[in-house]
Amino acid sequence: MKIEVLGSGCAKCNKVKEIVEKVVNEAGIDAEIVKVEDIDKILDYGVMVTPGLVIDGDVKIAGKIPSEDKVKEWLTQ
Amino acid sequence: MADEIKCACDSTNVALFSCSGASNVGQLSNQLAIELTEKGVGKMMCAVGIGGQVPGLLRSAEGCDRVIAIDGCPLNCTKKTLELAGIGIDRHILITDLGIKKNKDLRVKGSETSDLLEKVSDILAN
Repeated sequence: MKIEVLGSGCAKCNKVKEIVEKVVNEAGIDAEIVKVEDIDKILDYGVMVTPGLVIDGDVKIAGKIPSEDKVKEWLTQ
Repeated sequence: MADEIKCACDSTNVALFSCSGASNVGQLSNQLAIELTEKGVGKMMCAVGIGGQVPGLLRSAEGCDRVIAIDGCPLNCTKKTLELAGIGIDRHILITDLGIKKNKDLRVKGSETSDLLEKVSDILAN
């Protein structure tokens, strides 16, 4: 599984990465977590507002910090 | 322009969608969305991407605090497109309600845009 956190490094983007890492560690999920800071790559996903979260190429959220429960649901479904 | 963007988290979380249709008022609505973006009122987003169900664009619209839809004429294509996608609209601007008659001229006149921008800025401020 590939998880991409979209955003160039502000507090909100870092928070999303923190949540994702926590959920991945706690649930023992085998995943590669990548921080995407290149605005061109972010726009390639059609994401206009960050932070964003992409799981295996699927944009799950943009412009908001997801809850841990929501991230867990996305990663385990 | 993209190189100047450091982080999209800090930008105003207001989405601007325009109809961009094949008429004077369609093109005026598009130009208006550009001008409002440049004024920092919100961020112009792709209405056609919402109709096309492009996931990143849908999620971006859902992630905005407010959504402003700008339609050229009473066909209300932008409003309907957003509603069909389940995206709530906070403000709806209709160009033909602002004293401009629809025609097939696709070239936007600068004076029309500036007059319209003034009217719409007043509307959005209230």
